[in-house]
Amino acid sequence: MHLDSETARRNQAFEVGIREYVGMKEGPPFACPDLVNEPMIRHWCEVMGDSNPAYLDADVARKTVHGGIVAPPTMLQTWDMRGYPMRDPALIQNKQRELHALFDRAGYTGVVATDTEQEFIRYLRPGDQITSETTIESISEEKATGLGIGYFIVTRTVFTDQNGDEVGWLTFRVLKFKPSQPPAAVATDGGAPKAPSRIKSPRGHDNAWWWEGIDAGLLLIQKCRDCGALRHPPGPMCGACQSSRWETTESSGEGTVYSYTVLHHPPIPGYDFPCPVVLIDLQEGTRLVANIAACKPEEIHIGMKVECRIEDAGEGMKLPFFYPAR
Amino acid sequence: MESLRDRAVIVGIGQTDFSKNSGRSELALAAECVKAAIQDAGLSPRDIDGMTTFTLDSTDEIEVARSLGIGDLTFYSRIPHGGGAAIGIVHQAAMAVATGSAQYVVGYRALNGRSGQRYSQGVSGDIVTSDLIHWGWYMPFGLLTPASWVAMFTQRYMHETECKSTDLAQVSLSTRKHAVNNPNAFFYRRELTLEQHQSSRMIADPLRLYDCCQETDGGCAFVVTTPERARDMAQPGAVIRGIAQASADDQESMTSFYRPNIAVLPEMDLVAKQVYAQSGLGPGDIEAAVIYDAFSSIVLWQLESFGLCEPGEAKEFIKNGALELGGRLPTNTHGGQLSEAYIHGINGVNEGVRLIRGTSCNQPEKNDCVLVTAGVGIPTSGMILGKLA
Amino acid sequence: MSAPTGKSAVVLSDVRVGDSLPELSIPLTASLIVAGALASRDFTPVHHDRSAAQATGLQDVFMNILTTNGLVGRYITDWTGPDAVIRNVAIKLGAPNLPGDTLTFSGTVASREGDELRIEIKGKNSWGDHVTGTVRVVISS
Repeated sequence: MHLDSETARRNQAFEVGIREYVGMKEGPPFACPDLVNEPMIRHWCEVMGDSNPAYLDADVARKTVHGGIVAPPTMLQTWDMRGYPMRDPALIQNKQRELHALFDRAGYTGVVATDTEQEFIRYLRPGDQITSETTIESISEEKATGLGIGYFIVTRTVFTDQNGDEVGWLTFRVLKFKPSQPPAAVATDGGAPKAPSRIKSPRGHDNAWWWEGIDAGLLLIQKCRDCGALRHPPGPMCGACQSSRWETTESSGEGTVYSYTVLHHPPIPGYDFPCPVVLIDLQEGTRLVANIAACKPEEIHIGMKVECRIEDAGEGMKLPFFYPAR
Repeated sequence: MESLRDRAVIVGIGQTDFSKNSGRSELALAAECVKAAIQDAGLSPRDIDGMTTFTLDSTDEIEVARSLGIGDLTFYSRIPHGGGAAIGIVHQAAMAVATGSAQYVVGYRALNGRSGQRYSQGVSGDIVTSDLIHWGWYMPFGLLTPASWVAMFTQRYMHETECKSTDLAQVSLSTRKHAVNNPNAFFYRRELTLEQHQSSRMIADPLRLYDCCQETDGGCAFVVTTPERARDMAQPGAVIRGIAQASADDQESMTSFYRPNIAVLPEMDLVAKQVYAQSGLGPGDIEAAVIYDAFSSIVLWQLESFGLCEPGEAKEFIKNGALELGGRLPTNTHGGQLSEAYIHGINGVNEGVRLIRGTSCNQPEKNDCVLVTAGVGIPTSGMILGKLA
Repeated sequence: MSAPTGKSAVVLSDVRVGDSLPELSIPLTASLIVAGALASRDFTPVHHDRSAAQATGLQDVFMNILTTNGLVGRYITDWTGPDAVIRNVAIKLGAPNLPGDTLTFSGTVASREGDELRIEIKGKNSWGDHVTGTVRVVISS
C-alpha cells in the first residue's frame, strides 16, 4: 500500500548526506586578515550614518566608558568576512561551502540569511588580532517558507583575540531553499518596489452599493422593503420572505465585539501584523467583520463596546475601523 | 423506505507516500494511490466504472482513468467545499453502486499541498471564482487563511465553554501519540509535550502552531462496491452503516459568522442526525472515530455534534486520554491531519477502513462501529463504518 | 510614556520599562545597500550586482544582514549616547530591504535588570517587518 519511489529514495540519500555535516568545523581557525583598524571602522560608520564618537573621535572616546576608540560591536562579523573572493563560491573552499553545494545539487539553490545573534564579551580596539572558528551547529527539518521549501542551517562562530581570549560569538541562521516563484516584489524595472496593499473586495451587482457607501463614509445595512429584515453580508433576495425589493439603512456604527482573532502567521504584505480582526454585533442586529484600531491586541475582549469610523486604509481604499467606545 | 444503510462497502484503500515535497505531479500521485486502492481490493483497473473526487482536485477523473487504463466510466462526480467533501465522495460512490449506476467506484484526492498550492497561504484577490464576492467581505481586513477563519469560531467557543488552550492541546497530544507509532506519519517517532504545544508560535490567536494540521504532498484513494460483490473480495469489507452530507441554515464557506450562535456546528449536527437515523445506531455504539482535525478545536465541536458528550462539555470528555488507545473513544489513531498528513480527510477514510479491518498502527480492541467525519465550517459529511456481515 | 529624543545621552534613572525610543527613518538607496555590503566586506553578488539579485527573484540588490546589524547598533547608540555597552544583538530578518523603500526603526524598553536594558526593536519597510529583534545594552547610571 505504501508506494516507494525513486524520488523518496533520492530524498533519503540527501537527508543522510546533509546530516553528516552537523557538528563539523567549517575549517581550521581563520586568522582575520586585517587587524582591527580605524580606517575600516571609519568607512563602516560613514555608511551606517553612525556618528558615535566612541568609534570615531579619540579625544571624546577617552572620556567614555570605553576609554578610547573601539570598533562598533555589530561590526564583529566584518573582521571575519572573506571579501572579494566571496563573489564566486568556487573561490572559497570549506565545509560550509561543501554543504551548500550539496543543497544546490538537490535543487535548494536559494540562500538567504534569516537570523543572527551576536554576543559581545568585550569591545574590539584598534590593533586587536581576531581569529574565528565556525561550527555547523544544526540543520532543521525541511520547512515550507514564503520563499520556497528549504532547510535552516545554523552556524556558530567564536571570535578570539591575540591572547586566545574569547571576545564574542555569533550564531548565523540561513535558509537554503528551492526558489518557488518570484516574490511579488518583482515589479517595474527600476524605481521603488510597488508597496503591497490590502486586497480590495471585488465589486459586483450585489455588493458594489455597500462599498460605495463606505467610499462615501456611510456604514449601510441592507433592509428588506417588504418584511423589514436587515441582512449582512447583503444579497439579492431576502432569506426571510424571498422579496427582491430592498433599501438601505445607515448603521449607528455602535456595536459589541462578538468574537475576534489576532493574526500572527503567515504575515501577509499590505497588512500590519500582528493583525487583529473582530466580528462585531452592530446595535441594529447584523454582524460584520472588520479591523479594530487604537487598541492593543491583548486589550480586545468579547463583549467590548466599540464604535465605527470609516477611514482611509491606503491606496484610496476606505474601510470601516472599530475603535473602543468612548 | 429506501436507505443507504448497508448498501455499499469500502473494499480497497491505497495511498502514496506522504511528504513535504513529492517531486512529482498531482496526476502522478492520483494515479499511484488509485492503483494501490484497486490492487488492495484485488481488482484490475478495467473493473472500475465510476470515479469521484473533490472539485478542488486539480486532476481530472478521465486523466487518472487514462493513466491507469481504466476503461469505460458510467459514473463520475465531484463534490465542492474542500475537506467537507471527504465523506461526500464516499456518499457519491455509495449512491452510485446502490443504484446500479456503477459497479466499482473509486474515490481519490491527491495534492501537492506543501510544495504546490498551500492552503495556509490563504485566498487572494488573484483567484477569480464565483465566490470572490464572498471573500470580499473578509480579504480587506486580513482574514485570508483557514486558521484565521477557524480562530474566529474558536475564540467564541472558548469564551462560551471556558475551554482553554491547554484543553485544545489534549487533541494535538493525542494525535501525536498515535503518529509516533505510524511509519507513514510526518511525526513518526516524534513526541509532543504540553510545554512544546504551549510555547509553539501563535498562528491566529487562540490557535497555535500545533493546533494546526500538516501541509502534505500525497494522495489517498478507496474503492466502493455493493455488499454482494464485496463478500468474495480480497479484503474484509468495511460496510457503510450510515452516510450523509449536510449544509445548514445561513451556511457560508468557512465564514458562517452570522448565525445566532457560532460556537456550534449546525451542519455537522445535521450529518449526525442523518447517520444515526439511517444506521439505527447512537453515540453509545461508536467505538472508535476518525474526526476531521484540520485544527484541534474542531474536534471538540464534532464530539458535541455527534452526541458523544453534552454541548460545551468536550473539554471534560477528552480528559484522561479519552481519545487515546484504551480511552473511551480512540480517535485519529493514524495521527490525524494534525500529525499524520493532510490529505483532505481521505487519509481518514482509509484509517476508518483499517480500524474495521483491525490493521491500524494503533488498533483498538473494539472496532465494530467507527465514525468518520469530514471538514468543519463548510457544507460537510460523515459516515459510520461497520464490519460486513 | 517618556520618549527621550535627539542624540543626547539617556540616563538610566530616566528610563522606564515601556519607554519608546524615538523613531529613525533611513531612506534605502542602491548606494547605501552596496556601500553597506562593501564596508562589511561582504561581496556576495546579490548585495552589489543587480542581475545576480534578479536571478533570485528580487527586483534589485538587497541589504545584507551585516548592514542591518550595523544600523540596529547605530539606532541603539543614537539613543543611549557613547557611554553604552551593547552586550547582545539578536535579530530576525523578514521583508528584504530594496532600493526606493524606507526603513523605519522603532524600539521599546522591554525590561531592565540592574543597569542592563533589554530593548525590543523593529525596522519596518513598505513590505512589513524587515527586522525584529532584541538588544541588551548596559547604560551608565
